[in-house]
Amino acid sequence: MEKNNMAITLLVLLPLALSAQKRNLSVAGTIKDKSSGETLAGATIGFPDHPDLGIVSNSYGFYSITIPEGHYTMVVSFSGYAPDTVAFDLKQNLVLNRSLSAGNAQLQQVVVTGSKKINNILKTPPGLQRLTVNDIKDVPVLLGEKDILKTLQLLPGVKSAGDGSSGFYVRGGNSDQNLILLDEAPVYNATHLLGFFSVFNSDAIKDVSLYKGGMPANYGGRLASVEDIKMRDGNDQQLAGSGGIGLISSRLNLEGPIVRDKGSFMITGRRTYADLFTGLASDTNVKHSTLYFYDVNLKANYKLGDKDRVFLSGYFGKDALSFQHGRGVDWGNSTGTFRWNHIFSSRLFSNSSLIYSNYNYNTQFTANYNNVRVTSGITDYQWKEDINYYLNPRNKFDLGFDVIYHVTQPGQAVSDQTSKYNNITLEKKYAMENSVYASHEWSPTGKFKFTYGIRLTALSVLGPGNGKLVKTYWNPEPRLAATWQLDEESSVKLAYDRNVQNIHLLNNSTSTSPTNVYLPTSNVVQPEISDQFSAGYYRNFHGRTYEFSSEVYYKSMQNQLDYKNNANLIGNNNVEADLLFGKGRAYGWESYFHKRAGRLTGWISYTLSRTERQISGINNGSWYPATQDQTHNVSIVGVYKYNRKWTFSASWVYNTGNAVTWPSGKFPVDGAPVYYYASRNGYRLPAYHRLDLGATLQLKKTAKFQSDLNFSIYNAYGQSNPYTIQFQRDPNNPMLTQVQQTTLFKTVPSITYNFKF
Amino acid sequence: MKPIAIIIVFLALSCTKTITPALNTGATQLIIQGAISDTPGHYFVSIVNSTSFYTPNTYPGVSGAAVSIVDSTAGLRDILTETTTAGVYTTHSIVQGVSGHTYLLSATVNGKTYTASSTMPLPVALDSVTFDTSDTTHITARANYQDPPGIANYYKYGMVINGVVDKRFSIFEDRLSDGRYIRDKVDADTGEIRRNYTVQLCLVGIDQYVAAYLREAADIAYNNGSLAAPATPASNITGGCLGYFSAQTVSSKTRVVTW
Repeated sequence: MEKNNMAITLLVLLPLALSAQKRNLSVAGTIKDKSSGETLAGATIGFPDHPDLGIVSNSYGFYSITIPEGHYTMVVSFSGYAPDTVAFDLKQNLVLNRSLSAGNAQLQQVVVTGSKKINNILKTPPGLQRLTVNDIKDVPVLLGEKDILKTLQLLPGVKSAGDGSSGFYVRGGNSDQNLILLDEAPVYNATHLLGFFSVFNSDAIKDVSLYKGGMPANYGGRLASVEDIKMRDGNDQQLAGSGGIGLISSRLNLEGPIVRDKGSFMITGRRTYADLFTGLASDTNVKHSTLYFYDVNLKANYKLGDKDRVFLSGYFGKDALSFQHGRGVDWGNSTGTFRWNHIFSSRLFSNSSLIYSNYNYNTQFTANYNNVRVTSGITDYQWKEDINYYLNPRNKFDLGFDVIYHVTQPGQAVSDQTSKYNNITLEKKYAMENSVYASHEWSPTGKFKFTYGIRLTALSVLGPGNGKLVKTYWNPEPRLAATWQLDEESSVKLAYDRNVQNIHLLNNSTSTSPTNVYLPTSNVVQPEISDQFSAGYYRNFHGRTYEFSSEVYYKSMQNQLDYKNNANLIGNNNVEADLLFGKGRAYGWESYFHKRAGRLTGWISYTLSRTERQISGINNGSWYPATQDQTHNVSIVGVYKYNRKWTFSASWVYNTGNAVTWPSGKFPVDGAPVYYYASRNGYRLPAYHRLDLGATLQLKKTAKFQSDLNFSIYNAYGQSNPYTIQFQRDPNNPMLTQVQQTTLFKTVPSITYNFKF
Repeated sequence: MKPIAIIIVFLALSCTKTITPALNTGATQLIIQGAISDTPGHYFVSIVNSTSFYTPNTYPGVSGAAVSIVDSTAGLRDILTETTTAGVYTTHSIVQGVSGHTYLLSATVNGKTYTASSTMPLPVALDSVTFDTSDTTHITARANYQDPPGIANYYKYGMVINGVVDKRFSIFEDRLSDGRYIRDKVDADTGEIRRNYTVQLCLVGIDQYVAAYLREAADIAYNNGSLAAPATPASNITGGCLGYFSAQTVSSKTRVVTW
């Protein structure tokens, strides 16, 4: 009896005794860039003497790790920066803010090799790829406009929607199934100039995190991918600026501290001036056309003490385009985000966001008598809460909720007295999208990591006009990811995720048209659902000098939308009646080889994939290839630092032609030839390929002022890739029909002057 | 109000060429096209076969069909006979269509029967044809007329330029224009309208199903390059053929281009 009591006492006291010997304490802080004070998201915090410990900074640069007291050496590393090593004695909870210096790639190579135990493989979630503006700055692009969305399309699994287009398809998804976030605000139309440029001005952007699978539970709302784009916070050390003067546009960025080390601001603007030249054109149609876009990014942040920081960010952009006779369009996005980071304790971090996003587009017809202006748009009001709880090095919890009120205005037409059109107001559509999520990151040993979580989304359809609840769709979205580290340089990752989408885009034009119709889920339109399984093998060589990955995925999609032949998408109060519903499936294999350091850097990406749809009413209900079903897709990117002055770059892309619908015969209608189509997407465009070249000449480089000249040649060997293909009557012989191919860009050279102070 | 065809200032950079991609020849389709109107006539029904894309725009006529049209409102049946042109059949007893009457077409070709029904809408008068001469290198004709309020109307425009039937057709519906005074630009097919040309413009009132077929056909004929998913237009004739059967009203005005 006494013995037993003794044993129990021992059992109870032993853990206490042990913990008394070695208390668990936490180290937390923020990782920043030394010269600008920008926070660094996704920096790796590791301990060479304890290779199984480690963490990645969150999207605000915050990290926290709870470990037994003792002596530690901590290494903070981030791509493009020299690693930072710090030794400390952990005797009480510690705040350790670290600043990294941007280092050149060669230096990085050496240092990283030396500390190869610091492992990035395990810490990165599967399916995540992060690009910083630094990664894209030398990649050649159309008209010299550095574009983070364009560079994303050179990564495996991401496919371009066409020449000069910023639209893209991720792992078989449609272009509206990408959740594009700018400082957490969704951007509905991320393109300028009908798709030739993205709305993201690279001067204002810090980085983008691309998830094409294994989405963490805090993201939701789109099926295919997440592009989480962060604006820079602005330099909190000194007033700085940068800008560029190009052939078609100019940019200017100004930033600086509000109060040094406490807060900073950034303001960035960009405008094209192609319209200044159209006035000189001899073609009267071009002469009297309008064409421009501009955008402005604003951001400010301020630290209210050690535990609180607030951020205000905004984006405003507008495009306008019109012809002398007939039609004109203008469209624009505006987004605003107010965020409040609060550190409850060194283990508990929270962020609250109030988000506004609006996309509106207006079509104008100014043909003599028939003046009419049609206004359409979508507005989101959102409140989002995220909490990160760092229990100990083995367990981290993420919790949060998200409330979005969607208002869509399908169209309102205002006409002149003499117009042939009536004033029309289509009913606004309202929906509430509420989500909660919880996720647990668990590393039972240093070799395994499991992240499992669930997101529950409730979409409430609200009645037009009165806002009464019509129907609620509940959808649980499980998210699972597992990482198994094979050795210091290689790992295997598995993921399953379900995503639900409640805002649907209808567009019956091949181009990224501003005349889009956004529809929320309704009685007729069900939430779109996708399930994706993915598995990958990742390996680093020579530290992180070379990086290799190979991934496979299978995705199935439900409640996909299509429309009946020649559906009327404009001014249609009951567009739902013209819709068709079906399924989709996509599978593929992606490989990626990236050389990150040395004078020659770059990557090779290859994707083998299939994307199919099955829609009742199309091709007799059998599976058929989706437009973006590109069997082979290759990108090769190389950047070579020749010397201190010159950097050369090249990128080459190749893909199987898109699936297209072409005629299988013709017949007369009132004497004019009209075409007979045997099946949807039964033909293929010729393979697409293109080489772009770039060169940057460093002009001046002092501590105070830097400038460079950037030369680029888009489509260097002048490949005629088709933009549109039109089947028509031969204008020279009305007895025949012919096929006309329009190529948008043959060789386009450009030059841009960039500066920084 | 179609989505905008784009290619803008990039016109300067873009270029166009003729290509000849390989195209399958699908199964031959039967096309039946016929109309009854409120203007006196013999009326015709033509039956032809489709051809492959790269062959000339001539379509072999289909002879030996049994074709009839019934005025179901008046209870009058007309058996059509083939003219000297293969595949073209003409009416005999129906001498002038009547607005509000429903007409039934039946055509039996190689043992298969195709049927359609069309009701002639109320007539709408074309007030005038005018010309937009603000840019004399691109003269366009304009149809001017009052759309009757409270009724769904569907229109087809046709033109005869210097006595030659222009082979372009275009469709307008009053879905967004009910009761408005319409001043609508009408495109010509090939060639331009010039000073002193004689232009006859026809405003044809058609029924909803014919309009749907023609609207889809016009989109395919003139705009297929910018459609994400072009598809064969759906006929208002049942039985598995293409074409249309329309009971329609016609109002036309003729004018010489001057300024």
